[in-house]
Amino acid sequence: MTKGRTELGDITVHNIKQLKRLNQVVFPVTYNDKFYKDVLEVGDLAKLAYFNDLVVGAVCCREDKSENQRRLYIMTLGCLSPYRRLGIGSVMVEHVLKICENDGNFDNVYLHVQVNNDGAKAFYEKFGFEVVERKTNYYKRIEPADAFVLQKSFKKKNNNSEKETLVNGK
Amino acid sequence: MPTSQPLPPKENALFKRILKCYEQKQYRNGLKFAKGILSNPKYADHGETLAMKGLTLNCMGKKEEAYEFVKKGLRNDLRSHVCWHVYGLLQRSDRKYDEAIKCYRNALKWDKDNLQILRDLSLLQIQMRDLEGYKDTRYQLLVLRPGQRVSWIGYAMAFHLMKDYDMALSVLAEFRKTQTPKTFDYEQSELLLYEAKIMEEAGMKKESLEHLDKYETDIVDVLAATETKAHLCNNMDQKDKAAELYKKLLERNPENFAYYKGLEDALQIKSVDDRLKIYNDVLETYPRASAPKRLPINFTSGSTFKKLVDTYLKKALIKGVPPLFVTLRSLYSDPEKVSIIEDLLLGYIDSLKSEEVFNKSDEASEKQPPTTLLWTYFFIAQHYDQLGQTTVALQYISTALEHTTTLIEGYVVKARIYKHAGDIDEAVKCLDEAQSLDTADRYINSKCAKYMLRANMVKEAEDMCSKFTRENIPAMENLNEMQCMWFETECAAAFQRLAKWGDALKKCHEIDRHFTEIIEDQFDFHTYCMRKMTLRSYVGLLKLEDVLRRHPFYSKAAKIAIEIYVHLHDHPVADSDENISKDQENLTPSELKKLRNKQRKAQKKAQQQKSKEKQEQDKRESKPKPADPEVEGPKEEELIPASLQKPEDPLGEAIKFLRPLQQLAREDMTTHILAYEIYSRKGKILLMFQAIKRGHAIDSNDPRLHVCSVRFLQKVQASGELADAVKTVLEEGIKSIYGQHTPDTLNKEFLNRNTNSLMHQFAGAKMLYELHKNSKEAVSLITNLGDDDTKGVTPQNCAEILTSLCKGELGDCPVETEAFKAACHARFRVATFFKSPKSETMNGGDVAQPITNGPETSEP
Repeated sequence: MTKGRTELGDITVHNIKQLKRLNQVVFPVTYNDKFYKDVLEVGDLAKLAYFNDLVVGAVCCREDKSENQRRLYIMTLGCLSPYRRLGIGSVMVEHVLKICENDGNFDNVYLHVQVNNDGAKAFYEKFGFEVVERKTNYYKRIEPADAFVLQKSFKKKNNNSEKETLVNGK
Repeated sequence: MPTSQPLPPKENALFKRILKCYEQKQYRNGLKFAKGILSNPKYADHGETLAMKGLTLNCMGKKEEAYEFVKKGLRNDLRSHVCWHVYGLLQRSDRKYDEAIKCYRNALKWDKDNLQILRDLSLLQIQMRDLEGYKDTRYQLLVLRPGQRVSWIGYAMAFHLMKDYDMALSVLAEFRKTQTPKTFDYEQSELLLYEAKIMEEAGMKKESLEHLDKYETDIVDVLAATETKAHLCNNMDQKDKAAELYKKLLERNPENFAYYKGLEDALQIKSVDDRLKIYNDVLETYPRASAPKRLPINFTSGSTFKKLVDTYLKKALIKGVPPLFVTLRSLYSDPEKVSIIEDLLLGYIDSLKSEEVFNKSDEASEKQPPTTLLWTYFFIAQHYDQLGQTTVALQYISTALEHTTTLIEGYVVKARIYKHAGDIDEAVKCLDEAQSLDTADRYINSKCAKYMLRANMVKEAEDMCSKFTRENIPAMENLNEMQCMWFETECAAAFQRLAKWGDALKKCHEIDRHFTEIIEDQFDFHTYCMRKMTLRSYVGLLKLEDVLRRHPFYSKAAKIAIEIYVHLHDHPVADSDENISKDQENLTPSELKKLRNKQRKAQKKAQQQKSKEKQEQDKRESKPKPADPEVEGPKEEELIPASLQKPEDPLGEAIKFLRPLQQLAREDMTTHILAYEIYSRKGKILLMFQAIKRGHAIDSNDPRLHVCSVRFLQKVQASGELADAVKTVLEEGIKSIYGQHTPDTLNKEFLNRNTNSLMHQFAGAKMLYELHKNSKEAVSLITNLGDDDTKGVTPQNCAEILTSLCKGELGDCPVETEAFKAACHARFRVATFFKSPKSETMNGGDVAQPITNGPETSEP
């Protein structure tokens, strides 16, 4: 196939509306203004995915201090439907894992997936994520309302063998 | 020195220091030294010192005092070249060039060999295109300074501009004898090319070519030399040599369309195949070049065309080229090509949707990324828009945006479709969306502002532009300062539609001033170009400046201004605001008095407020800008909308805008229509006829011209006795254009000749009504829109007709008007202009909306 180019780009005040439009189409949930305000502050933790120079996907994360751990939470990661199965999601996940790796001080990275979303579940499991919890009635306005928590744990930097599996885990 | 007031050495030294201070812009010190001389009672009347004091004051922005001192100085010493020179400089700084020239000439009377004055004079003369005077002055300079290169060049150029080519060439040849070229001597090279150019202009093709060949090694601008030679050879029937040169040029740049044209000429191509071969040959050497791929699409047809355009389209659709449609739009005048393109596109979409390939029956067809389908949707939407199929176009662009909601260009195209279909408000919404998706994109920002202006949203447009204009000053001001003329013309048009005559005129005058300013800006180039020896570009600049107002920006502004002035002549703006005067009809005298008082107070207050603002503004402006009137030019009169819309002589103002059009835009029908409108109001029958005659020479069948013609013949019939001379001229002229036609037969014939064109029928109908006051018959001519063969049935034209119907230009016909509106609405569903309030609430145009239950169906 004629190959397309996938690149990640920054989110700025100038293009943030593209992220909004994208999220409106990709996710069943609406995000509030604070979400978009915060996204502008997190640097590399939020990125737009460009395919052949068009914005077709995005990933947004934030740091999280819950459960006495330093964690990275993937708030959104998605791609417009015509552009799925082109490896764009993988580029974004790899970007997130790379951040964790470079930082070296994250305990884990996690996210929520609606329980009926088998595709997403399988996608993350491919990268070494595991279901660690089922949250009942996590979603307020969509059905089914339950969510899986998918998590991938890291051993701290001093344990090298674990880090190897992380890099090769794709 | 011929001065009548010589100074003793001490004072003379002081005077020299004034001159030095002036040159070094130390104006305060200059005044101090002047005081040193003038405070001595013996020299209090010293003319030259007074003049210099004035000139210095002028540089400090004190215009009035400056004139006072300079004039006083001159009166005291009329025989001083210094005084005259200073007076000239002062006039020059006020752009009164004619006056300045006179002063310089007086100065030269008393000091005829003064180089500085001669140089200054020559600059003014070339600026004013006083070529004869320029030549004389350049001669003086050459005699005085024969050793200087500029002297020779200037003298030769004077002859060139006067089209005395032989003299120009012999001066240059004489001069070149004294020169010994260095290696890679750019100036020498320019001089040689300039000579070749003069020869070409003089029709000496052979000599020009020989000249270029002879000095080939000295010419460093190889490209210019080769282009000129190739062009000359083609014109001299040295086709072989021309072909060789064009091939060489194509090796330098295979994207230049003109080279292909030159090569085709040179090879005297007959068949399409031979023509195609030229392009294929280039493609073999330069497979990535795009011109040889695009150009053959123009001249091929049938299966060859299909093959070429297929390749061209696919490549661009894969790559994602947003302006692809623009590059192909010129083909849309050929229905065969349109249908081939449409078939190809529909085929692509079908295959891409199901198999992600361009051609599913072709095994070798490569799998495409999703963007290819997206760009195909994007293209076909524009394709249908071009064909006027709004609904299909909107469907495809919506599909594209559903496919990729972030395709910013998609919203731009959607906006354009709505604009063409006559729904400008929806178009603005789409562009606002596009603009919001990437607020760092100035192109889309400007486009959005432009659409807003089309929708008469002036304030919103200004705010939109302010995202990119300088901070802390109003966008409107900054756009004027930047000579941003697309904005100002659109803005003027918007104000015109809003009947804000004063504001519209302000914009028109601003545009006119930009053109004046660009012509002023020439001044610096006279010295600069001579010194740098960029002679060909310099002559090109002079010729461009001569026809500067030919630019469409000027034509647009002038048209609006003339239309408004004509309107103001017919309907002068009343002193008090119209709305108020309407209300006043129902008031008692005492109430009226109170109201008047109130108005007066309000006005006074507003004026005070305004002058306060103005003062503050002046303060702000005066601070950062060091006043340098020599550069800035005179302060222009402020343009105030309220006074602009009450001109003393509206037709005179209109004529000022008309003059440049008549000189420079003679080939434009609008010019003559406007001229007719003005002169018919002035009752100048010969000038009216002149306008018609000129229009007639462009297109005798133009509907707007027809209206003028019928009215004109009527007028001549009605006018009875004319002066004999006028009568003879007119009778002959009329006969040659109209034969024996009466207004009535002329109109009938026009209508019969143009049955298939809506706007022609409309013009005829209007005249029919004017002649016979038969509304029914007139209206019947235009209200039938069903016929598909009728040309010119567009939302824009129909809107114009509807407006005219509503104004009663075809008589009182409310039923027919409503019927016409309904017919337009049926034809142009999207256009807002034809929607009645009822149809709008029932369904919002073409977009199907969920129908909510009305109150009558809801359960109690």
